[in-house]
Amino acid sequence: MKRLARRLGFLTAAAMALTQAPVGFVRDEGYYFTAARSYEEWLRFLLQAPLQALGQTERYWSYNFEHPGLTKLLFAASHLVFSTWLKLLPDALAWRLPAFAFAGLLSYWLCILGSRRSRAAGVLAPLLFWCAERTFFHGHLACFDIPICALWAGVGVAWLRASGQPPAPSRQLWLAFVYGVSLAVKHNAWFLPPVLLVHALLLRGEERKRALLTLPWLLLSPLVLFAAWPLLWHDPIRHLGDWIAFHTQHVHYAWWYFGQVLRGPPFPVVYPLVIDALALPLPLVALLAAAGAKLLADFARRRLDAQRLLELGLAGAALLPFLLRTTPIFGGLKHWLAFVALLTPEAAALLVRAAEQAPWPRSRALALGAAAALLPGLWQIVHVHPYGTSAYGELAGGIPGAASLGMQRQYWSNNLTSVLPWLNAHCPPGARVYFHEVNVESYRTYILSGMLRPDLRYASGPAESDYVALQWHREFRDREPETWNAFGTHRPATGLYLDEVPQIVVYARPGLPGAP
Amino acid sequence: MRFRDLKRVPLLALLVLGAASLLFDLTLSARLPSGADWAEAAGALRARAEPGDAVQLWPVWAERARLFVDAMPVLAEEDLANADYVHVQRLWVLSLPRAPHFSAPDGVLRSRGAAPLADAQRFGAIALQPWDLHAPPIAADLTRSPEEHEVDYVARRCLRVAVGSRLTARGGGSALHVRAGVIGERAYDAGRPEIAVQIFADGAPLGTLEVPRTQRDGTGWRRLDLPLPAGPAERDFVFAISSADPGRPFCLQAWTTR
Repeated sequence: MKRLARRLGFLTAAAMALTQAPVGFVRDEGYYFTAARSYEEWLRFLLQAPLQALGQTERYWSYNFEHPGLTKLLFAASHLVFSTWLKLLPDALAWRLPAFAFAGLLSYWLCILGSRRSRAAGVLAPLLFWCAERTFFHGHLACFDIPICALWAGVGVAWLRASGQPPAPSRQLWLAFVYGVSLAVKHNAWFLPPVLLVHALLLRGEERKRALLTLPWLLLSPLVLFAAWPLLWHDPIRHLGDWIAFHTQHVHYAWWYFGQVLRGPPFPVVYPLVIDALALPLPLVALLAAAGAKLLADFARRRLDAQRLLELGLAGAALLPFLLRTTPIFGGLKHWLAFVALLTPEAAALLVRAAEQAPWPRSRALALGAAAALLPGLWQIVHVHPYGTSAYGELAGGIPGAASLGMQRQYWSNNLTSVLPWLNAHCPPGARVYFHEVNVESYRTYILSGMLRPDLRYASGPAESDYVALQWHREFRDREPETWNAFGTHRPATGLYLDEVPQIVVYARPGLPGAP
Repeated sequence: MRFRDLKRVPLLALLVLGAASLLFDLTLSARLPSGADWAEAAGALRARAEPGDAVQLWPVWAERARLFVDAMPVLAEEDLANADYVHVQRLWVLSLPRAPHFSAPDGVLRSRGAAPLADAQRFGAIALQPWDLHAPPIAADLTRSPEEHEVDYVARRCLRVAVGSRLTARGGGSALHVRAGVIGERAYDAGRPEIAVQIFADGAPLGTLEVPRTQRDGTGWRRLDLPLPAGPAERDFVFAISSADPGRPFCLQAWTTR
């Protein structure tokens, strides 16, 4: 079964690598690329003068102090090897490569969890997760959302192995390591020990005792965090304090939800569930809902074994912070991807069970069921990729239905890639372009990756620009009238309209190439 | 139904859900306009355009129309019942009636006294219908803004004025209409005091429009409509804008009707 899981993992990583080129650089990636550049400099310094490099960690690692170092270190190492030294890969692909590995790991661990029910469930669990444009899109990014989602599942698998069998230090050390890696990826990992403690307490007899005795091994995990984050090597208490403070005092970004811009707490309690229901393909929503209901019902009837109990706990823990009404909610479903992921093994098992009970041959029923569950998501990917943050499912009425409902149109700024060829073709040399939500880091990466002409200049606002590429965000609607006032025209030159819904709108000053 | 039949239900339900979802996905584009539909609709507007015409998009996100419509202003008012449509005599409602969650605008338009001037014309997935708003004629545009600004998520032809300043204008008419709001997201700044617009006609106070901090979307564009007492054919209006917090960008629109 591990062989099958490994194959699915490799296939997932390969699929991400093959479809990443048109995926724009999201705002967060801009920061992480910049961090990776800085960390790569440090790595090269480390190889040349180790002692001096160790003494100067703060200089290279202070940038993006709010997130632990491991993923960015991997982005940097990948770029150093595949781009700087071997010159095998373009910059962006080299930075993103470790993210694809995490996507592969997620498939691997979901397959492991699913295959404990049946081989078919093992195959279907990762497929259910990835066959939706929102999740598929996030698999491409050099960010932390898919890595922490993968480790959420990975810690679960490691915990089951470490606590579910006669004690073996190798399994317990592996659990400590995997949890340490999750700590070194993203702060979401802070929530895992309470989940594991509650899981242990809900087990019975010998199982409970073994699980409780496994928990202390997690005390080793911070060593991984410390080792993978050189910023902590000097003045660790201060840096840990800064890290924690950043997240406990995180700002709230505006978010459009059913016609109202949510700007701060209290947020609707059902918000994350509604977003999942509207953004994911409808058959997947139905299967996830059935999986959640089945797990809850079996929990109430005390019919959950250790694994299903843990899956319920992990899925719930991924969602719980966003039900509290005070946790920042921006970013769509990316922050609770593990909720979706940890329900897929149960959803896959329900699908298999439904197929087995149908009055047709099992293989035919399973193929039909899998097609019904996966094809709408596959269509969503084909239709919407690489504009993943704009995707909405059938319950919302697709992208136009969601626009009518007053839902967040997109987030970050990656949809800009749709108009870069137009800008490259039409802008005169040295033209000033206002890129709106595209930060200067992403702008530089577009130039570095050859997607944007290097002579095009980054303008600070419509009035200072020759061309404007507006990303449609409810809270930035003032930018379009500003452009009209500055350019003296209401007519865009081009744009990205997904199923007619504006995402990117480009204006050109009258008289310049491309102006209507 | 026998128990054995019930066991088929989950798979059948999933198959129905999957098939219905795919059907929706694959037919969605047929319910939305093509480039040719847009071009035809824009051509029809070009052929029939008259001064005082404007296009209202419905749903308001159908702004791809701006790429094509060049014969008249394109409006994306979100509140059809209360939109002012200043200077608009004939409103062309350009709608996408087959779009998901579409709600027909007819009822709302009729409720404000508007009447269709002709049947809707179809251009593929686009419907185009002219409406007479039966709006009272404008006597004077007191703010005459050359610019537009976003207030409460709609582009408004209002004049950006500094809080603490006074605006003077001269005009006649039997009713005064004043609109005001804070531009952009600063309308939502927490803990900010209200902004007041005191209105005087020929030195006599007429009323005050209060603009508190916006708490809920759709309430940020404040309105005041006043009948003008009998008097001279033209008057000097003064709008005095004041607040304990002068820092926010403020927009004012005022006009009179006969």
